[in-house]
Amino acid sequence: MGKKFKRDLSSLGDIFEFIDEFSVKTGLDESVVFTMNLVVEELFTNMVKYTSGNTNKILLELKKEENNLIIHLTDFDVDPFDITETAEVDTKQSLEERRVGGLGIHLVKEMMDKIEYEYKDRQSKIILIKHLEN
Amino acid sequence: MFEAELKGNNEIMLTGRFDASQVEKAKMVFDAVANSCEVDFTDLEYISSAGLSVLLVTQKRLSKSGNSLKLTNMNKHIRDVFRYAGFDTVFEIA
Repeated sequence: MGKKFKRDLSSLGDIFEFIDEFSVKTGLDESVVFTMNLVVEELFTNMVKYTSGNTNKILLELKKEENNLIIHLTDFDVDPFDITETAEVDTKQSLEERRVGGLGIHLVKEMMDKIEYEYKDRQSKIILIKHLEN
Repeated sequence: MFEAELKGNNEIMLTGRFDASQVEKAKMVFDAVANSCEVDFTDLEYISSAGLSVLLVTQKRLSKSGNSLKLTNMNKHIRDVFRYAGFDTVFEIA
């Protein structure tokens, strides 16, 4: 199932509701729902923050195929931003060394099994895959 | 729904879902903390990197005066997020 959301942080409530609806339909457990909430929030928030001046809605698509959960986020008429190419965050740094920010994509990488990026016709698409336990 | 409530001088209760749309609300409470403080996660269901950043900024500021935040009663999912972020080494988590 898929739905477009207004490019604004105030859409997060509607996004979480949409994820809940999908999770009930497909019988996902609460730990998967928590993970979906977090990864979708991080990527949606990035799209909102780093592409100012664009009023296009962002498309969220959720699918369950056999034992895989598949999440697509598509941003329309934007410059490319390949999250698979972002620098690693050093989580061993001390409090003083720690920088604020950049953690969102790191969490997505930690929580998903596979991340792909496609860019075509000014459409930026992030594909996330999570293997589900039986 | 999200609430950050200061209880007494050294305890903050978090309730609900701490997502990116709640940062300003949380900052109003955390920016007012001047001394070591316990943050009770008992009723917090969810946190994202936006919430982690508010806590990190506060911890960095407090550490300059020898103070710190102590985080208590996290649910398993939130504890995992802290571990993935490597925040279990920069906060005392009880």
